[in-house]
Amino acid sequence: MLTRAVLEQVIINGLSLSAIYVLVALGFTLLFGIMRVVNFAHGAFVMLGGYALFYLYGTFKLPYPLAVPLAALIVATASLLLELLVFRWFYHKMLQSMIGLLGLNMALVFSAVLIWDVYERSIPPAFAGLLTFRGLMIPTDRLMIICIALIVLLAFWLFMTRTRHGLAMRAAAQDVDTAESQGINTSFIYRLAFFIAIFMAALAGGLYAQTYSLSPFVGEQTLMVAFIVVVLGGMGSIPGAALGGVILGFSESFISTFYGAAASSFVSFGVVFILLILRPWGLLGTPETERS
Amino acid sequence: MEQPTVQKPVQAGAATSRERLLGERAPVGTRVGAGGRSWLVASIALAGAVAWPFVFPNPFIVTVGTLVLLNAIGASSLHLVIRTGHVSLCHAAFMGVGAYAAVLTLMKLGLPFPFNLLAAAAVPAILALLIGPVVLRLTGKYFVLVTFMLGEIIRLVFLEWTSLTGGANGIFDIPPPWPSLTTPTGFYFLSLACSALCVGLVLRILVSEIGRSIDSIRESERLAGCSGVPVVRLKVVVFIIASGLVGIQGGLHAYLLHYIDPGSFTIVQSMNFVVMNVIGGMEHLAGALIGTVFLVTLPELLRGYVDVQHVMFGIILIFIMAAMPGGIVELVARLRSWRAGQAKEEQAS
Repeated sequence: MLTRAVLEQVIINGLSLSAIYVLVALGFTLLFGIMRVVNFAHGAFVMLGGYALFYLYGTFKLPYPLAVPLAALIVATASLLLELLVFRWFYHKMLQSMIGLLGLNMALVFSAVLIWDVYERSIPPAFAGLLTFRGLMIPTDRLMIICIALIVLLAFWLFMTRTRHGLAMRAAAQDVDTAESQGINTSFIYRLAFFIAIFMAALAGGLYAQTYSLSPFVGEQTLMVAFIVVVLGGMGSIPGAALGGVILGFSESFISTFYGAAASSFVSFGVVFILLILRPWGLLGTPETERS
Repeated sequence: MEQPTVQKPVQAGAATSRERLLGERAPVGTRVGAGGRSWLVASIALAGAVAWPFVFPNPFIVTVGTLVLLNAIGASSLHLVIRTGHVSLCHAAFMGVGAYAAVLTLMKLGLPFPFNLLAAAAVPAILALLIGPVVLRLTGKYFVLVTFMLGEIIRLVFLEWTSLTGGANGIFDIPPPWPSLTTPTGFYFLSLACSALCVGLVLRILVSEIGRSIDSIRESERLAGCSGVPVVRLKVVVFIIASGLVGIQGGLHAYLLHYIDPGSFTIVQSMNFVVMNVIGGMEHLAGALIGTVFLVTLPELLRGYVDVQHVMFGIILIFIMAAMPGGIVELVARLRSWRAGQAKEEQAS
């Protein structure tokens, strides 16, 4: 059954899945790396991004290239309020943040249930049809996801490596006190990092909901994914999140095509479980020195 | 093997840095020889629990009481793990293992009821013995993550091992173990007996020498190890006991509901156990029990508003973690010290 056509589709699916996973996981790892917050509410922001796109594109019929970034932007801007009310309390408090933000997740998800009910919606596809390129058939919507993700990731990479704020962010991630003493406004940097993280999560949410379906519980799956990806790559490591996302996207695409979805989740959970025991800091992370 | 003796016993609920800063101490109720007061409170609570079905004979209210008692087992056993400084997110998975063990030994092997309960405790305990030495070498966030994964893996096993567990449909029509246990009141007293034994065991461990060692592990693993506490071994023992106890809860749950499915043993239930501990106060066994009463009765009273109630719990959780990590117990202690301060002022004036 391993024909060229199947293999092509598996690879394209793997790429588009990877793109979404990397977007979700990057935000997750950014929050962890800089603010030491384990954002269990990340899935909720993914879900909100999905609903934002549902309204902007599905209901208000904005043009697609405008609707996608605008949806993510709205969610990220609105979330700044949550940063002020909730997240700020949990910076640099890892265990408390886990439980507190699980609470936030619960509050957001069930507020969504109250507002939008539990039934599944679908966002109308933006592009139909196939693009044929030298005998290679690519579904246009998948290609679009890959392109959007690539643009955002490139922008993110440029931001982190080429701008002053990116430099400040990396400095704050390394050592907050030293960064502050060098005149870096860390509370602004935190807000900025939070904004970027939520923007990417919400963007991924829109793309994910459009490919699959949208319900208040769509975040659970993506949170799990973010978890696996981030642990795989190393918590707090940005290249690690990218690598982990690609590994997970492809392995899920391959294993679930040939052996079924259950096998795929068994493998990914099992691998991460073993990795956590043998190398808890992940593939590209660095082992932490013990701090009290 | 010599007994682990800590030279200067670490006090239960030893002052965290924040408390040192504020110059106040966490309430210490499980201290050795804390004296008559805590025993008095415990016996009043027990007497209240015995009187409950006679005061409110309504079967619904009795069953709510049963649920509180059963969840008290899970919450207090998780409290034991939390006291070593490890927050486990797979506690409900062990509860599920216990539930399936009890049901399968009853329905497939036809063993009598006491053996079912024994299996409900033994199977998760054995599983914990196998997994514990591996996962308990991790600490802090890595332990949380690994137990999260473990819980998911166990849930997937429940879901996919269809020939044994019935898959997503679960197992239904579980026969009652004894004819007398079909009445809500009969089952209530069975739960009360089990719950009192389990919570009593946890309390006994916490006030013993081992309890001191557990607290010392939470404060600093390395220092505890240097003082002769066999850190990993003790953590594994605690993990095994906690898993066995929560397995009993699982078994009893299966008999109460006559039905089990993988959906009852997910991360949501694990989180519930954590929330019970957090709301009540993580540094104290009483906190776990208060949290249980709060978290089990409130949803039953607010039936019909399930979603609102989840939102509310979420907000409460955020608030407690942000402002008052010591939970209700800390709140009571603060009120008490505030009142004591006021009384002192009055005396001075």
